[in-house]
Amino acid sequence: MKKKLFTILVLCVGAIAWMQVNSCKKKDIKTGPTAVAFTTPPGFPAPPFNFTNNPLTQEAVSLGRRLFYDGQLSKDGNFPCSSCHQQFAAFATFDHDLSHGFNNQFTTRNSPGIFNLAWHTELHWDGGINHLELQPLAPITAPNEMAEDIGTVINKLKADSKYPAQFKAAFGTEEINSQRMLKALAQFMVTMVSANSKYDKVRNGQGTFTGTEQAGYTIFQNKCAACHKEPLLTDLSYRNNGMDLHPFLLDYGRMRITNKKEDSLKFKVPSLRNVMLTFPYMHDGRFYSIDQVLNHYATGIISSPTLDPLLANKIVLTTTERTQLKAFLNTLTDSVFIADKRFAQPQ
Amino acid sequence: MKKLLSLQLPVILLVLALFNSCAKEYSGSGWNTPKEDYNLLINFTPVVDTLKLSFDSTYKNYFDEPYKVSAFKFYICQFDLINTDSNKVYNVNKDKYFLIDAADSTTWKVKLSAVPFRYNRISFTIGVDSARNVSGAQTGALDPAKGMFWTWNSGYIMAKLEGTSPLSNQPNGKFEYHIGGFKGIENAVRKPLLLFPFGVYSEITPNTKSIISVNANVNAWFYNPHDLKIEENPVVTTPGVLARSVSENYSKMFTVTAVKNE
Repeated sequence: MKKKLFTILVLCVGAIAWMQVNSCKKKDIKTGPTAVAFTTPPGFPAPPFNFTNNPLTQEAVSLGRRLFYDGQLSKDGNFPCSSCHQQFAAFATFDHDLSHGFNNQFTTRNSPGIFNLAWHTELHWDGGINHLELQPLAPITAPNEMAEDIGTVINKLKADSKYPAQFKAAFGTEEINSQRMLKALAQFMVTMVSANSKYDKVRNGQGTFTGTEQAGYTIFQNKCAACHKEPLLTDLSYRNNGMDLHPFLLDYGRMRITNKKEDSLKFKVPSLRNVMLTFPYMHDGRFYSIDQVLNHYATGIISSPTLDPLLANKIVLTTTERTQLKAFLNTLTDSVFIADKRFAQPQ
Repeated sequence: MKKLLSLQLPVILLVLALFNSCAKEYSGSGWNTPKEDYNLLINFTPVVDTLKLSFDSTYKNYFDEPYKVSAFKFYICQFDLINTDSNKVYNVNKDKYFLIDAADSTTWKVKLSAVPFRYNRISFTIGVDSARNVSGAQTGALDPAKGMFWTWNSGYIMAKLEGTSPLSNQPNGKFEYHIGGFKGIENAVRKPLLLFPFGVYSEITPNTKSIISVNANVNAWFYNPHDLKIEENPVVTTPGVLARSVSENYSKMFTVTAVKNE
């Protein structure tokens, strides 16, 4: 009997000692989120995204992914980010000039593909958003897009039993606030790198163009690459490419942000990566095919004081050259990216 | 009895260990009354000229335009305490932002910790520093959920005045001034210098604190140095020259009415 009591005592003392040693050492035990390294694809410049202020972790990226696909970020639950940014369309809206928003409304611009955002210091066709973390605020609150109030979104997330644990895993406590939501969304989006097209393989010496593709590449380098600069296939600048002012949308582009008349009708040069998946084209989606785009550059350019000087002489291609150029543009499709399970809707 | 004790002792020890092992992490209420962490209180009162602002009253601006207010808020930060006798300037709570909201009197009291000294001027920034406008998602007073953030043209609304006037040509006679902009000539960040009433000092010692009462006058928005008539400009909601002009007007809206040292 005594022996039994002694055993209990020893066990208890042992337990107390163990607790004293361990219970206050939370910081020493590796329980925090797991860091994720951002890999810059070969030949890409260093990304300007500030990872120090928002270090990538598996947990926050995974939280961002869940948020990206969550309809609760919209007023009626029907418009998650993914409703206008579909993976099979390189995260643009497939086959829509303008996308659909809350209460049967159209958006006012063509939904751009989401990839390689780590290299973008400004977002939107007019560059009005100055940080990736702030980007989701625009569609969430726009009355014709997700039409929701940020405070209400946060309350919905707080009321959803699956989120507190995910926020804790990503940020250390269960607190849910807009900063954490936005940082998580930014982390997910910044991991969406598209650099696995045939064009990339050729650049990296892992593949070869066909003769037609190679001819198209040469045409591209001579006539397109000044704006659609390699390897991002955009120079991220704002330019007027000679389209007339849309009579209904009355969208003056960059001028709305800078209030400068020299920025009238200028829009951000879109990347040509995945261009075959992201039709329709231009900021208002007015062209449904590459041929329509090429027709515009050949015969449709409207002259105006802010027209880009590089387009002053138009871009005229022969029928053969068009075929070759389109063959090259086909090599820009990143089929690995659009099938990457890391970016798909979480189960 | 002995048997009972030897059974109880480990249990008591175990329970004690459970409660005590992380005692230093416990920071909830009850055990220690937290020491007051401020020695300077700036107490803002929203007014229209000499009257305390009420959302139910109709006022008149310099141009005799009648109006009612439905929202009045502004950001302040970067406080400088100044002694002009010794030319000393102390910057306090450098990175802390406060959103003063006329609708919520709990936001009117700004608590700061200053170097104990004798001061006769105070200066603070109205608005949000350009760095905070370009460095991603913020929190606290700067949480975009506070409705003081432009989502389509990234940047904070530095100050907001909304209301109605029969002279506005907008729906329901609304007028709306959302003032912001931090780039180049659009910069609406202002840093006024506030004098104290003659012969009055803010005296902060290790044992005493100081309370500075400041009126924020809505009518200053409409006049001096720029005329802002509701009839002509009922809506200013984008950065630009007009918004900057309004910021120059409201930078003069503050008056120190009293300083109390206790």
